[in-house]
Amino acid sequence: MIVENTAELPEIIFPSPREILFQRTLRHKGFIIGAAILALILAVALLAPVLAPHDPYHQDLAHQMQNPVWHADGTWRHPLGTDNLGRDYLSRLMFGARISLLIGISAMLISGLIGTTLGVAAGYFGGRTDMIISFLITTRLSMPVVLVALAVVALIGGSLTVIIWVLGFLIWDRFAVVMRSSTQQLRGIEYVSAAKAIGCSTPHILIIEIIPNILNNLIVVATLEVAHAILLEAALSFLGMGVQPPLPSWGLMIAEGKEFMLFTPWVIAIPGVVLSLLVLAINLMGDGIRDITAPEGHS
Amino acid sequence: MARRSFRNIFVMVLVLIVGLAWVLPAFADKSSNTLNFAWTKELETLDRYYNTAREGMIVSRHVYDDLIYRDPQTWEYKPLLATSWKWIDPSTMELELRKGVVFHNGEKFDADDVVYTLNFVSNPENKVLVQRNVNWIKKAEKLGTYKVRILLHKPFPAALEYLAGNVPIYPNEYYAKVGPQGFGLKPVGTGPYKVVTVEQGKRIVFEKNADYFKDSPKGQPAIDRIVQRTIPEMTTMVAELMTGGLDWIYMVPTDQAEKLEKLPSLNVVRAETMRIGFLQMDVTGRTGDTPLKDVRVRKAICYAVDREAIAKNLVGGQSRVVHAACYPSQFGCIDTVTKYDYDPARAKQLLTEAGYTNGFEIDFYGYRDRPYGEAIVGYLREVGIKANMKWLKYSALRDATKSDKVALVMNTWGSYGVNDISNITGQHFRMEYNDFARDQAVTDWLNEGDNSIDDAKRREVYSKALKRIADQAYWLPLFSWVANYAFDKDLDFTPYPDAVPRFFLTAWK
Amino acid sequence: MIAYTLKRFGLAVLVAITVSFVTFMLLRFSGDPAVALAGADATPEDIEVVRVTYGLDRPLLIQYIDWGRRALKGDFGISPYFNQPVEKIIGNRLTITMTLGACALSFAVLLAIPMGVLAAIRPNTWIDRLALTVSVIGQAMPSFFFGLILIIVFGVMLRWLPISGSSTWKHFILPAVALGYYATPAIMRLTRSGMLEVLGADYIRTARAKGLRAGKVLFKHALRNAIIPVVSLLAVQFGFMLGGSLVIETIFAINGVGFLGYESISRADLPMVQAIVLLVSMFYVVLTFFSDLLNAFLDPRLRVQ
Repeated sequence: MIVENTAELPEIIFPSPREILFQRTLRHKGFIIGAAILALILAVALLAPVLAPHDPYHQDLAHQMQNPVWHADGTWRHPLGTDNLGRDYLSRLMFGARISLLIGISAMLISGLIGTTLGVAAGYFGGRTDMIISFLITTRLSMPVVLVALAVVALIGGSLTVIIWVLGFLIWDRFAVVMRSSTQQLRGIEYVSAAKAIGCSTPHILIIEIIPNILNNLIVVATLEVAHAILLEAALSFLGMGVQPPLPSWGLMIAEGKEFMLFTPWVIAIPGVVLSLLVLAINLMGDGIRDITAPEGHS
Repeated sequence: MARRSFRNIFVMVLVLIVGLAWVLPAFADKSSNTLNFAWTKELETLDRYYNTAREGMIVSRHVYDDLIYRDPQTWEYKPLLATSWKWIDPSTMELELRKGVVFHNGEKFDADDVVYTLNFVSNPENKVLVQRNVNWIKKAEKLGTYKVRILLHKPFPAALEYLAGNVPIYPNEYYAKVGPQGFGLKPVGTGPYKVVTVEQGKRIVFEKNADYFKDSPKGQPAIDRIVQRTIPEMTTMVAELMTGGLDWIYMVPTDQAEKLEKLPSLNVVRAETMRIGFLQMDVTGRTGDTPLKDVRVRKAICYAVDREAIAKNLVGGQSRVVHAACYPSQFGCIDTVTKYDYDPARAKQLLTEAGYTNGFEIDFYGYRDRPYGEAIVGYLREVGIKANMKWLKYSALRDATKSDKVALVMNTWGSYGVNDISNITGQHFRMEYNDFARDQAVTDWLNEGDNSIDDAKRREVYSKALKRIADQAYWLPLFSWVANYAFDKDLDFTPYPDAVPRFFLTAWK
Repeated sequence: MIAYTLKRFGLAVLVAITVSFVTFMLLRFSGDPAVALAGADATPEDIEVVRVTYGLDRPLLIQYIDWGRRALKGDFGISPYFNQPVEKIIGNRLTITMTLGACALSFAVLLAIPMGVLAAIRPNTWIDRLALTVSVIGQAMPSFFFGLILIIVFGVMLRWLPISGSSTWKHFILPAVALGYYATPAIMRLTRSGMLEVLGADYIRTARAKGLRAGKVLFKHALRNAIIPVVSLLAVQFGFMLGGSLVIETIFAINGVGFLGYESISRADLPMVQAIVLLVSMFYVVLTFFSDLLNAFLDPRLRVQ
């Protein structure tokens, strides 16, 4: 794919590749929508201490389970109502964005580091290295993620750090698979061979020649894995083995809201919809980047 | 205005749908005289001596009979498999047994069954799980076909209490043949219901024992067939109840119970149980150097938690705050101990005095009722104590406690429905793993009380122990638990404080 | 082909050994099995006796080999919770999880492949976009959230389907939808891109040019070729479903292997957890083994790799 890409570019005389990319970006609705939602959630997460109307941990049992403002008895004091301990739901949602994003991004960074290293090494060196790493990938893929994560969390006890590390160590497979095949494709290309021929060191080739060229794919996988990690954390929290209360992660909010879903569905609907939106936005971005950076006609 | 009417219509439609579709399935269960109920637990075995759960006790009371029956209404002891009993001396008891009782498999009930069961379960080698139910028995002897003698290790005033509900009698020939493993899957008793199907972790089907002996104080079972299902998710269970898939559920969270109350086809009873909650604190520093060693810190925790608010808003129903380390109705329990009313300022001041002006961080363990724990965490946070919740399964929590990892824990105790203080306080201050105080004086007082048969003496030493526990803030007793039952309104069901449903006393109206 | 098969088989065995070894070690670090076996009120001496009786005092590697040897014969030890052989308990639950997995996969296939084909025939139309939307949303919703919504809508409000349990085929519909929906996006996308590629290929154009009916071209030639990669994806997805069915089983009260695994983890039933993780991994390994073979059979180029 990338071969064709580089071969095609010179034929286009104007506008410059950068401008094409920009225009394609603007034309890609999915990407724009995803980016907009994500930007909004990021902004809320970053500004949570400023934006949140209340302390997300402050409980007031006398005012528990108040309805959101769109209900007849809702008030603007708690626009999204309060939870079963009387904590302001909007504030928890805002701070929850931080936790969920923190988990998603940190786990992605860890898994990205592991997966990319393994994938690039396998793709670049090939031979025995490739065999061993492919074996590691298969082994990892065969282990059921949720079960193993549960077992480990049950063993060390759930906390934010534990969850991040466990997820980071468990979901590197897609990075490794994609990076391996991307690197394999690059390895045979002329400029890499040329770099080898003029005696560039292996790290030099990897950093200067390989990494920048697999960056597109890397970003696509990275976005997907952020979403994946967030969903996994939600599932673990749902099973009572995610982050521990009173930390407001969105997954935990859904888990705690499930008791009320039959009668006061907003308790679970609000974090559920917001979490789905976040994952949706990240996936749309990922798809968008793939479409935009892929050559015309391929997707 | 438009918003409100839209919402009203929505609610009305919802109630209508739920209400309408109600009638049919409920009627179906009623007409076939079947009761469908569920709990969340997967019961590992139906052998009562090898499970510890309340669910095991429920099965036991229906399938097996004990020697004695305790009337849940009047608290009186009544003859069940034993027709009479008398103390020969403080550690010897003789019982006359009922004639003409037959086990579900046709085996005749007589002294051999009693002697076999008691000797089997009291033998430590057989590793019965709840040792306190049986470890007071030294041995049983046969005096005649329908007469037995029970020898105790030492005087044990609560013996009757245990014989009435926690020591079911098994058929000796069958049990010897199949062993605890086989028995756990195909149990046989003399009780009002027999087990016809066991699908582990899925369902247990009970059928009425048509030959149940006529003058049993348990009465004659009215419902033909009882089907128990295991549904791990409470929300799913409530949904099943709402749609008629189930007729009876219990342990419904308060918020849901409040909502279910509004449905016309359901009855919701929110009854107080004997279960109380309490915080245990590592007094002696066996988990390492913990701030809890300082009595001022323990008192600060006591003042910091608004138990009244939790009892009223989260537990709801008849829940009330308890101050002593026991359930108020239990023999020997008093209420005249040091009380710690909600006073966060006082808590902060105590923390400052103890040198923790900025609070401290601590792991906070527990195993059930996470929302209550979360509320406690919230209160502790307000006075500067950062408690990290670590909610484990009961067995895992027990292991963690045993290996000295737990400094602060929210525990609960239901006393197995035994209305005597020896079953709660005595169980937690015995210098064993679950004794966080390790106070020799308290242990001695409790020992004295548990082994005396002089009521006045017992009251006196128990009150000393309870006062010391409160003064030293070894425990922060929390509040009584409430069992929320929700069931079909056509079902004639009465709950009791031990939170063990008696379906043999239940009938369709 | 034989050499290839042998090589793949060797790899599968190696993966099996590694997975079992990793889980074995992982669980051994989580607690002392002697303590668990000895029971709650055991004295240190009792525990020591248990340790020696069960050979838990030997080096870990020896213990692992011993465990592995017995596991090969189908003996996974005794569950301290149930006090029964592990394989006996698992056996009962496996059928249920397999049924659920099969139903979920069928649902995913029935939804995703027609959607993928339609999207490919009419690219960039509303059908394509609808398919895309469905798949994107499917990826974004946590499966337990979706499951709970299904319960409310179809179980409580509409009363069309039973909510929980596994006694009749009807009971499997909602959980299968909840579990299968998550797999649809991947299958749909692969079908779509596979179809697009095949439809653009020369032989399809030729077939069309020869005047063959569109339907025949589509199904006899295009779909058959486009479906090959999908088949191996299905194998992978089925493996994932077995591992991921845990959440769905909890919600819908289906007592399959996933739920058993979850419960066993929380009650520290180590022999059970060990056996379940191994079993689920083995399914994945076996499925990918066969799908690799199938692919190699269909596409000879793969064999020389």
